[in-house]
Amino acid sequence: MPTSNDRSKPSSALDELESLFPAKQFFCEPAHLAAFESDALTAFQARPLAIVVPESTDDIISAVRWCAVNQVPFVARGSGTSLSGGSLPVAEGIVIALNRMNKILSLDPQDRIAVVQPGVINLEVSRAADSHGLYYAPDPSSQSVCTIGGNVAFNSGGAHCLKYGMTSNHVLGLKAVLATGEVVTFGGPSLETIGPDYTGLFCGSEGLFGVALEITVRLLPKPERFHTVLVGYRSLQAAGDAVAAVIDSGLLPGALEIMDALAIEAAEAAVACGYPEGAAAVLIVELEGPQEKIKQEKLQLDDLLAQTGAFAIRVAVDSQDRLSIWKGRKSAFSAVGRLSPDFIVQDGVVPRNRLGEALARIEQLSRETGIRVANVFHAGDGNLHPLILFDGKISGALEKAEQLAGQILKMCIAMGGSITGEHGVGIEKRTFMPEMFDQPTMDLMKRLRSAFDPHQIANPGKMFPGREPPALALHGLHPLEKAGVISRE
Amino acid sequence: MNEKPNVLRPTTTDDLLDIIAGHRSVLPVGNRTKPGCSPCPDDAAGNFDRPALVSLTELSGIIEYEPSEFTFTAHAGTRVTEIVEILKAKNQYLPFDPLLVDAGATLGGTVASNAAGPGRFRYGGVRDFLLAVCLITGDGKTIRAGAKVVKNSAGFDIPKLIVGSLGRLGVMTEFTFKVFPVPSARTTIQVRCRSHDEAIEQMSVAASARWELDAIDYRVAEKTICYRVAGPKPSNDLIAGEILDRSSGNADVISLETSDRYWTSVRELSFTGPGAIVVKVPTTTTSFLELADAFADNSNVEMHLSVAGSLTWLAIQSVPALLDVEKTLGELSLAGLVFRGPVETMWLGQRRRYEIDRSIKQAMDPANKFPSLWPDD
Repeated sequence: MPTSNDRSKPSSALDELESLFPAKQFFCEPAHLAAFESDALTAFQARPLAIVVPESTDDIISAVRWCAVNQVPFVARGSGTSLSGGSLPVAEGIVIALNRMNKILSLDPQDRIAVVQPGVINLEVSRAADSHGLYYAPDPSSQSVCTIGGNVAFNSGGAHCLKYGMTSNHVLGLKAVLATGEVVTFGGPSLETIGPDYTGLFCGSEGLFGVALEITVRLLPKPERFHTVLVGYRSLQAAGDAVAAVIDSGLLPGALEIMDALAIEAAEAAVACGYPEGAAAVLIVELEGPQEKIKQEKLQLDDLLAQTGAFAIRVAVDSQDRLSIWKGRKSAFSAVGRLSPDFIVQDGVVPRNRLGEALARIEQLSRETGIRVANVFHAGDGNLHPLILFDGKISGALEKAEQLAGQILKMCIAMGGSITGEHGVGIEKRTFMPEMFDQPTMDLMKRLRSAFDPHQIANPGKMFPGREPPALALHGLHPLEKAGVISRE
Repeated sequence: MNEKPNVLRPTTTDDLLDIIAGHRSVLPVGNRTKPGCSPCPDDAAGNFDRPALVSLTELSGIIEYEPSEFTFTAHAGTRVTEIVEILKAKNQYLPFDPLLVDAGATLGGTVASNAAGPGRFRYGGVRDFLLAVCLITGDGKTIRAGAKVVKNSAGFDIPKLIVGSLGRLGVMTEFTFKVFPVPSARTTIQVRCRSHDEAIEQMSVAASARWELDAIDYRVAEKTICYRVAGPKPSNDLIAGEILDRSSGNADVISLETSDRYWTSVRELSFTGPGAIVVKVPTTTTSFLELADAFADNSNVEMHLSVAGSLTWLAIQSVPALLDVEKTLGELSLAGLVFRGPVETMWLGQRRRYEIDRSIKQAMDPANKFPSLWPDD
């Protein structure tokens, strides 16, 4: 593998790589490279040697095989919305930018599947399926810009994971070029498989195994009716208790989301979402399904919520009203930019019945460190999203914020949860992997990594601790976040 | 169950570790309700490298169950029927309809063979409900992968990898599963069709419909679809009514007793006689139609279509007919796994192999303690 002291091999080899692609598909000028220096985790930056922009499956295979032969690291990238630095380039490697691989290759309403290229935008799949009454369920908040390839690599989640699962639960098969250059097809068009589930293993492998070329996804019938309720509470504890009551009732809501006072304040300032004034917490509960079923279940839900000590209950009267309730929630993260110039978001998971305890601990840590923390979380599945606010212009503030983030992750591990529910480990949380998994398990994961990528060229430096991280830069909103195009889940 | 050949039954994890260390090759099994997935040719047949069969049935029982978390953790040797009862007491269930529950299937065997029934259609299969696994490797290391929470994306998804691994990648000893609340009622509607084409068309329309059906199965010989609706009874009745209205007199709601019998016959693979060789074949609606066509005049091959077209069960009435099945599956680029039957091979039909198969096996089993998944390795 080339080092910073030995640039001769890559540059001469780069000429060969360049010769494989027309000028419009290969870039190595600083101006082009700069655009790929970081993803949505703007704290980290690295300038790659070159960018390859494939326009066909064969282009991707050629690029990966060239990397395999020359042992040059590569990072495959979609829209660069990773919140864990998953698509951060490697300084001595190349970026394979997949945005032009954006075709939906087939959509089969009879078997309810679609085969898509990795650069297809998440929401485009649902748009294409819409006329058949179908949709693609995984809905990360960045779904209007993030790509299916990135979703597969990081097993992205969304607001509906308790009921519908994450990306991997909706990926039935894929064709991929592995880091060895081998082209494989895992799974297929059927919901069922025989033999080990390699498709499931590939999902969430954070680009360390290779690059997905074609992805077969499952489509579901669009829910006919929604029943969305916004509930205001005087304490976070009361909102948490309400979640427990909903779960105990036997209902299976599509979404159960909570925002605390600071997050509400931010959302209110940003989009005037009209959440109940003076709420210490709001809960959003959404039921979905056939109208007959919702008609029954909403009576049960409304009765139940009326007994949870809420001081305000607002039921969405139509789809417009539903969207306005969701607008506050969906905008919460970028809205926090109004409260603080910089912030870190974590996505640790705790068992649902320890949510209250986890939030109390976060509050205590916030008090002790004097660092403000806003909380937005997927309460149904225990997935926290503490937003740790800081000012990057103040010396040492970023480090202190990261320290607090680390304490929160350790708390999640200690409670029997996970360091990441849906953002992935990436570069950001890799030092916590050995705390979550013991040595034999880490060793096995490393062996699996080597099986797919013996030369460690596919997205090196992610998931496993070890390599030096690229220089930390100032935090700040991703340009797309500033523009309100994407938001952090 | 089938006690031939000899099966070792460790009663502690230390026993299990000793057995793994003391044998050149081992193959973990459960209660052998799917003996086709662990074929063991006799020594007399010339196979002297036969692995020691290690049954985990004595390492059983639920370890923790927290209904409010929608999760439970249990030993791999636990019978699914025990889990079903414990969950039922709290109005929860495993929505993928684990197979051969009454026959004594264990959790370990269910995961190893990826045995899901009709309920796989609505919310997903074994892979979608398995959250964490504890696995012992051939060199005696204990691996704990996944997390005991319903949402997690840290590290490689080893729990998914071991679904369908047939005990060839390690000995699974513990699992954490996600569970769901049981729907308050279920209603089954039976629709008689004139042809398989018509049935597939109807099933596809229903699968995409606003009704959000719970299961869609098709009894091929009788050209009869069964739709299962799950939810509050009043809404089930309304949805069933709409399905009846659209079926021009060819449909009826079947009694609870009849529907229980029907879904049990699928779950227990008892829609066919006990002597039949039963093969799982992942399909699409299109490949099912091709299969149905190929076996239309073959009285030795019975079929049941499950999971709205995604899973075809073949019940083969004689060993010679197996050759026809092997040939047909290969011609149609389909592959099958033998769940039950006196045969020495698990796999039928298409075999698609990659270098990575070998590398994954090596990574999971560096001591090469478990038999190969594919016999030509």
